[in-house]
Amino acid sequence: MSIEPKTESAVREDVPDRPRGYVVGSAPDSIEREIGHDEFDPVGTLVLILGYFVILAVMWVFMYFVEFLGRGLTVVG
Amino acid sequence: MATFVDRYPEEASVVKATLVVSFLSLGIGALFGLVQALHRTGYLRILDSVDYYTVLTGHGVLLALVFTIFFLMGLFTWAVVQSLERPLPDIRLSWAWVGLTTTGAVFAAVAILAGLVPSIDMSADVLYTFYAPLMGHPLFYIGLAMFIVGTWLAGADWFLAYRDWRGDNPDERIPLQTFMVLTTMLMWYLATLGVAVSTVFFLIPWSFGWVETVNPLLTRTLFWFFGHPVVYFWLMPAYMLWYTVLPKLAGGRLFSDPLARVVFVLFLLLSTPVGIHHQYLDPGIAEGFKFIAMTNTMFLLLPSLLTAFTVVASIEHGARQRGGEGYIKWLGALPWRDPAFTGMALAGAMFAAGGFSGMINAGMNINYLIHNTLWVPGHFHLTVGTAVALTMMAGSYWLVPQLTGKRLYSRPIGLLQVVLWFVGMVLMSNAMHRGGLAGIPRRTAEPQYQNFEFSTMLGSVEEIQAGIALGGTLLFVSAVLFLFNILLSSIEDPIENPVDDSLPAPLSGASGSPVVLDNLRLWTAIAVVLVILAYTLPLAGIVGDAGVWGDVPGVPVWVSGNLDAALAALPEVIA
Repeated sequence: MSIEPKTESAVREDVPDRPRGYVVGSAPDSIEREIGHDEFDPVGTLVLILGYFVILAVMWVFMYFVEFLGRGLTVVG
Repeated sequence: MATFVDRYPEEASVVKATLVVSFLSLGIGALFGLVQALHRTGYLRILDSVDYYTVLTGHGVLLALVFTIFFLMGLFTWAVVQSLERPLPDIRLSWAWVGLTTTGAVFAAVAILAGLVPSIDMSADVLYTFYAPLMGHPLFYIGLAMFIVGTWLAGADWFLAYRDWRGDNPDERIPLQTFMVLTTMLMWYLATLGVAVSTVFFLIPWSFGWVETVNPLLTRTLFWFFGHPVVYFWLMPAYMLWYTVLPKLAGGRLFSDPLARVVFVLFLLLSTPVGIHHQYLDPGIAEGFKFIAMTNTMFLLLPSLLTAFTVVASIEHGARQRGGEGYIKWLGALPWRDPAFTGMALAGAMFAAGGFSGMINAGMNINYLIHNTLWVPGHFHLTVGTAVALTMMAGSYWLVPQLTGKRLYSRPIGLLQVVLWFVGMVLMSNAMHRGGLAGIPRRTAEPQYQNFEFSTMLGSVEEIQAGIALGGTLLFVSAVLFLFNILLSSIEDPIENPVDDSLPAPLSGASGSPVVLDNLRLWTAIAVVLVILAYTLPLAGIVGDAGVWGDVPGVPVWVSGNLDAALAALPEVIA
């Protein structure tokens, strides 16, 4: 077994033999449709990462208040 | 459908042995974590505060070094064997490094735990950051040296397996998991040079009394030469699971194999020349060198952000194959009832939060605000304590059945366990970060001062302490549930198909990517050059200032010699 490229049929052919509903890692059993490289547009990933950057920006602003406005300067002066 | 143990029974035994040591360490370390959380918040004190350092050292060494690295050694052995599709070259070598690392870890643990037994004249209360001037028993350092050499042998084992495979497959691309193992180990060989020199040449002779003094700043700098890259040594197994297993658990495929290779190459290059960022407040290192370390550290955000994109995109691919739609709604199509998936996904989410506090730590200016406060343990409980530890536990639910041929005892308990860990860490780490902003110190049993009150930006100190105590308790319960589940799984009866262990091919495979990515010699050479650039002048300065052995007058001598002048100046200073 290897993660290196196999044909799609080789990846899928053993699915019916697997025990269902209990075994950890049985997610492929419920795959509804095959999506190849060219049809996949990770727009949901973009949304999550943009959300992360917004959180980062807000947290940096929070740190700015803590560092410079809340207690006075700790590095200069 | 044969699983790993059926195809490679001897290698499976090696992996199981490393995991047993790893999980035993997790149990002891988690108990020590509970003791600390309840002690320093004042909820329950079963030990004297003088023993706090012993418990803290045990917690740090057993979890940050033994639990994580033994799991890594097992996981990497599994990964090399299964991705190269061949057994290890000589199983005796494998057992040799298992024996050496285990003996070393036991020696170090005995030296630490003996500190709790007053009748034994032995202790090693030196914390995870074991540099001078704190001195431990020689057995501690000898154990560490054996442990490090054992990891080197483990790496040699995997490189020999790769060499054999390369002989039979001269034109193939290195299988992705083996590529991850090899780049991680090259980084490790480079990074452990510092701690090996510190331990063997300075700390062991010093602890035996063969030399009277060592240069504390030198041992400290050599420690951090290793002490930060080791963070990536913990993290790379988690990354391997996120890149190669998590997409499969989500029902998808890795988005890009070449991007994964780029990330591991970047970690090889950038992990080591950054350790001085732990020493922003150390005198004896010029600001310019610290600035270089900061710049190098910020570059490390790049592979982390690449990982965020690739791993999330791979999960999204799984969700959409499972019928997920919309911008956010697809998250609901993921297999959240699978503890292996949910644990790793929650671990990744916590790592994103840890990335934020890590940027604060890395910034030279703003680091001064949180240095040596509770913020720092808040940060690394998000990274090593959750991103790494939770991924390792969640990964075990998928990995252990492959090693035993037995199914997981309870998937619902596993799910409860990973969620409990997440909730416990949200409570504890949140409280630690906010406590750090209020200036509450770390590494002490008695964080409160007399006639001084910490002022918090939000909430109160009492609420912060409650968060730490409650979070720590949930984490301990979670660790117990994990060990309970794994233990019962190991005594189940073997079944024919204990786990779906197939790994699907990446959406974008390695075949179209630049061959130079697999040129390990080139990347190693560049990594060495970067280390030389970052460390030569600071180390030369440290040795030039105080000598290799620190044979310079100490601060008390200087005060004593100038006592009259100091006393004469005192009224003026007070005025």
